[in-house]
Amino acid sequence: MNDVSTKQDPRARELALAGALELSPSIEKHPVEIRPRYGHFIAGRWVEGRDEGVFETVNPATAKPLAQIAAADEAEVDAAVAAARKAYDEVWSKLSGLERGKYLFRIARRLQERAREFATLETTDNGKPIRETRDVDIPLVAAHFFYYAGWADKLEHAAAGRKVAPLGVAGQIIPWNFPLLMLAWKIAPALATGNTVVLKPAETTPLTAALFCDVLQEVGLPPGVVNIVNGAGETGAALVNHPGIDKIAFTGSTEVGRIIMRSIAGTKKKATMELGGKGANIVFADAALDQAVEGCVDGIFFNQGHVCCAGSRLLVEESIAEDFVARLRRRVSTLRIGDPLDKNTDVGAINSKDQHGMIDRYLDIAAQEGAKVWQGAACELPSTGYYHLPTILTGVQQTDTVVREEIFGPVLSVLTFRTPAEAIKKANDTEYGLACGVWSEKTSKLFRTAHALNCGVVWANGYNLFDPSSPFGGVRHSGFGREGGIAGLWPYMQEVAR
Amino acid sequence: MIGPSQTRILVEKTIKLYVGGKFIRSESGRVDRITPTRPPTDNAGADPRDIYVCRASRKDFRDAMELARKAQAGWAGRSGYNRGQILYRLAEMLEDRAEAFPVAREQVHAAVDRVVHHAGWSDKISSLLSSLNPVATAHVNYSMLRPVGVVVALPDPADGLLGMVEALSAATVMGNTVHLFVPLESGELAAALSEALATCDMPGGVVNVLTTDVTGLLEWANHHDDLDAIYLAAAAIDDDALKATQLEAARVMRRLILVDGAAQPASALTLQRLAEVKTVWMSS
Repeated sequence: MNDVSTKQDPRARELALAGALELSPSIEKHPVEIRPRYGHFIAGRWVEGRDEGVFETVNPATAKPLAQIAAADEAEVDAAVAAARKAYDEVWSKLSGLERGKYLFRIARRLQERAREFATLETTDNGKPIRETRDVDIPLVAAHFFYYAGWADKLEHAAAGRKVAPLGVAGQIIPWNFPLLMLAWKIAPALATGNTVVLKPAETTPLTAALFCDVLQEVGLPPGVVNIVNGAGETGAALVNHPGIDKIAFTGSTEVGRIIMRSIAGTKKKATMELGGKGANIVFADAALDQAVEGCVDGIFFNQGHVCCAGSRLLVEESIAEDFVARLRRRVSTLRIGDPLDKNTDVGAINSKDQHGMIDRYLDIAAQEGAKVWQGAACELPSTGYYHLPTILTGVQQTDTVVREEIFGPVLSVLTFRTPAEAIKKANDTEYGLACGVWSEKTSKLFRTAHALNCGVVWANGYNLFDPSSPFGGVRHSGFGREGGIAGLWPYMQEVAR
Repeated sequence: MIGPSQTRILVEKTIKLYVGGKFIRSESGRVDRITPTRPPTDNAGADPRDIYVCRASRKDFRDAMELARKAQAGWAGRSGYNRGQILYRLAEMLEDRAEAFPVAREQVHAAVDRVVHHAGWSDKISSLLSSLNPVATAHVNYSMLRPVGVVVALPDPADGLLGMVEALSAATVMGNTVHLFVPLESGELAAALSEALATCDMPGGVVNVLTTDVTGLLEWANHHDDLDAIYLAAAAIDDDALKATQLEAARVMRRLILVDGAAQPASALTLQRLAEVKTVWMSS
């Protein structure tokens, strides 16, 4: 035991109290190959792409470029959609469900076998800690393919006994916060139900999607069943507006979701929207407090807070608020922030300079609106790269900008309540409705609260848990449609006459 | 005394809106004289004649929204068994009042049978479409259906009474409250349906029947941000109005449930679209 009374530095004293030890770096060194330039994966082959509009993907931990990426224009998007249509008409829609499933099983296996490579590459391109890509992202990716593989020959059971058919070609646009996991959430159910896809990764995180194409070649997936086009908003718009697309699946901000829904108005295109959130984490006085502290930390500082369902609003019962916030600060003071490839790192780098600036702007607004800003970590921030200290805002109100708008960063707002009814009312007082958490040791209270929350996912005594068998998605401005579980099949199928 | 040479003067009923469980006139004071378009009927005493129909305004809709929102939680909170009984009671009232509908008897029978069909879903669909998800963590993980909330329904006018009952039964059996927009020309059907709704133990505000210029009132509904979903039969509005509805829905991610028509009852998966899938990870 450390003798804490002899420590002079209050911070060192706090760390010692929290049991934080000095650790030497333990850097993940699994080799990954990054090509100097990436184009687009169309009809089973890489095409180089145009020189015009080439952009860089950057390692957010160092701010140094990793590779050059081509941006697909309308003609390239058209080629990808044509390849997907051809594969749909000639191969994929004619294959039996069992055979489709077997391709997905193969993909899942190869992802498991190359998991360390994917985890290392994801961490390098995204900035999230290797602990998360290794233990959460990549295992969930493989699990997602494995789960939907088994559905491919059982679809009528998922449609309450009706005969179903695929929709055709799906255009899929994914964000940078869980690059490969979002790819899996999009591609696995689409393929299991017999659709072919054109997917656009986020422009700041294209590398694991490119490596995924290696896996597709290894498993011999028929050309054109999965096509990947790189690029930013313009490429996405070309995909959304392409007349050959039957279905749009989008994960990203509510703002862009609105633009997409407006773009496809007046067409027959179907859509799934996984949009923003402002999740409430409700802690009752009768919760297991240390467990709840862990849950709140996981809720908002997991993945640097770049989680659409992040528990960015802590609602804590007034009688324990002071004690709880003190415990929370002490725990946050032990978080290690730094090199994402270090296995000791808890909080990695913010994905991009733009996002880093956005978080800072929100903190300026918070200060202007009277919030008390507290920041902490167990170490200094690295001198290069885009890092942001975990931040806790107190003295905020329901009407404050930082309480209403999604910040998408490691920033937690703390609010209090006196009765369960007040907690529910405050939690539901948002345009969003993606996810919430509730903490109590009283089961009846958990059930009552969980069922009264107006959102798509509720974690009772937990937060930010994901599983391929568990449907995920929101209500109201958080979008519609579900990903995961049986409900995740529905947006990719249509009922047809027998 | 009416002499033998005099014909009796008919006592005409002005068709009112049915909102919040009450028959009301439009706040706008507008009453339209309408020549109904009506198929031949075997109902005695239902000869075509002009009718007087209240025209629901933007403010009528706003008032109805408040009442529907207030009624929604209570309706969804009733047991499936109870909601099923109320819908079945609606079928009983429709059957009993078949003569009040200025349409062929078979059409009333089809509507009655449709309500009976959907009434049976009330305590079953959640068993069919909910799931217990075998997650890898120590949680009991279940997904269930929750109502989408307040719905505006525009059935295909060509589907007549069947279209109206299909829309309102599908919406209400899933725990939603619903505003049925009915063209003024179908005022008599709306009136007879509303009278059945008023006497079937359905709580006020669960179904509001608004006779109106349907496309015109839809424009206002599109701007009401508290409206959760719009149920649209393909032929209810033209392509321009559909596109305008989709554009406005994008603002608030409002759910649009597009159906072909009422020839077939909504399947389980179509009914599912009038609900939200909610997943709970319960600590164990």
